[in-house]
This record gives sequence, C-alpha cells and structure tokens, in this order.
Amino acid sequence: MNITISEKNGTVIGVLDGRLDTAAAPQFAKDMEPLMAKANLPIVLDCTKLEYVSSSGLRLFLTLRKKTMAEGGSVTIKGVNAEIKQVFTITGFNSLFNFE
Amino acid sequence: MKEVLQLTNDIQDVPRLGEWVEHIGELWELPMPKVFNLNLALEEAVVNVMNYAYPGQQGMPVVITASDENGVQTFTIEDEGIPFDPTLKEDPDITLGLDDRPTGGLGIFLVKELMSSVSYEWKSGKNVLTLTL
Repeated sequence: MNITISEKNGTVIGVLDGRLDTAAAPQFAKDMEPLMAKANLPIVLDCTKLEYVSSSGLRLFLTLRKKTMAEGGSVTIKGVNAEIKQVFTITGFNSLFNFE
Repeated sequence: MKEVLQLTNDIQDVPRLGEWVEHIGELWELPMPKVFNLNLALEEAVVNVMNYAYPGQQGMPVVITASDENGVQTFTIEDEGIPFDPTLKEDPDITLGLDDRPTGGLGIFLVKELMSSVSYEWKSGKNVLTLTL
C-alpha cells in the first residue's frame, strides 16, 4: 500500500495505490501524516488505484475528514471502484465526503 | 468441498487471508464484486477475533473453513478464545453527522451487511461464526 502526496495551487493531492487492509493500516497512518498536517486545505484522495479498503482504512479516512472539518479544509474522494463505493454507501460515509 | 486456512491471532497474517480468498474466488468462479465482499467480511470477522479473543496471548489459532455444499457457500471462523457472540453487537448509527460519528465500530456491521446471513455458536469450547455468501 502506497500513498504519494503532492501540493498544487493550494490543493493537496494524495494518490493511493494498493490494498488498504488491517495489516497495512498502521504504516498508512504514518504515511498520511503530511495530509493530516494540511487539514486546513482542500485535500483530494485519488483512489483510482486503490483496490481494497477495510474498516481500519475507513477509520483513517474519517479521522482525516474530522480534522479538516475542525481546521477548515475538505476531503474529496476521487475515482473509487464500484466495490469501495458500495462500502462507503453501506457505512453512510457517502454523506461525509465529497466524491468526484 | 472444503478448503481450510489456518492463521494465528497476528494482524500480519491478514494478507494471507486476502490471498486465500482470491484462491477461493478462482476455485468457485466467483465474480469480482463477490470476492471483494467476501474478503472484506472475512477480514472484519477475523480481525475481531485476532484483536479480542486471546488477550495477552500470541500464536493462537484462527481457523477459516470454506465449504460448498449443493451450491450453498459458507465460511466458518473458529477460535478457542473467550466466548463472544459478535452478532449481538449493536449496529452503529450510520446517519450521524461528522461531529458525532465515532471513527470505529464498523467491522461487524460490515460483516452482517455484506453476507446473506451470519450466525454464531459456542461449540466444543470454540467460538464458531458462520457466514453464508
């Protein structure tokens, strides 16, 4: 599981690649710390190459979303596959994030 | 037809579950969305066992069995830890807004939502959770 983070025109972009399962979540939490530090800005999570996510990954998405709410930023989730979109719907996460 | 996967209560074993589910998917010719749902439901149920069944103990068994009998595809997750029926866990309120929304508590809910049925029994000193695809 990898995340590549960049910043362009005041928007922070995280490109996720791989399987975000429970075993991968602790390292991913560390890797996404630069995003947490930019929670005052609009953040785009490009999930085009995200193959899978379990509840441990959802927890991290929500933690980031809560921090942006507190600090004035936002989280837009881009390009999730149909299966992951379904998980967002089942858990009610679809109403907590912007999708693109 | 039965297939068995033996794991221990170590989160680092979770990727092996993912590989095994892929194998079952190929064996049973399951469509991709079903493989995804099965992987997620099994992972959530198994991680729950890994996290809570054996407090303070390492290397303890978590055994997953897949069986296909007359087209009914079921999975059991067995452990020898403390008795716990996850089906009794209250569902989270998924309508809560950001302020009130807890970051956890979704695992067992996902298992119930993604599978056709989920049942629990305490049998011969083991927790046995049965998921029907």
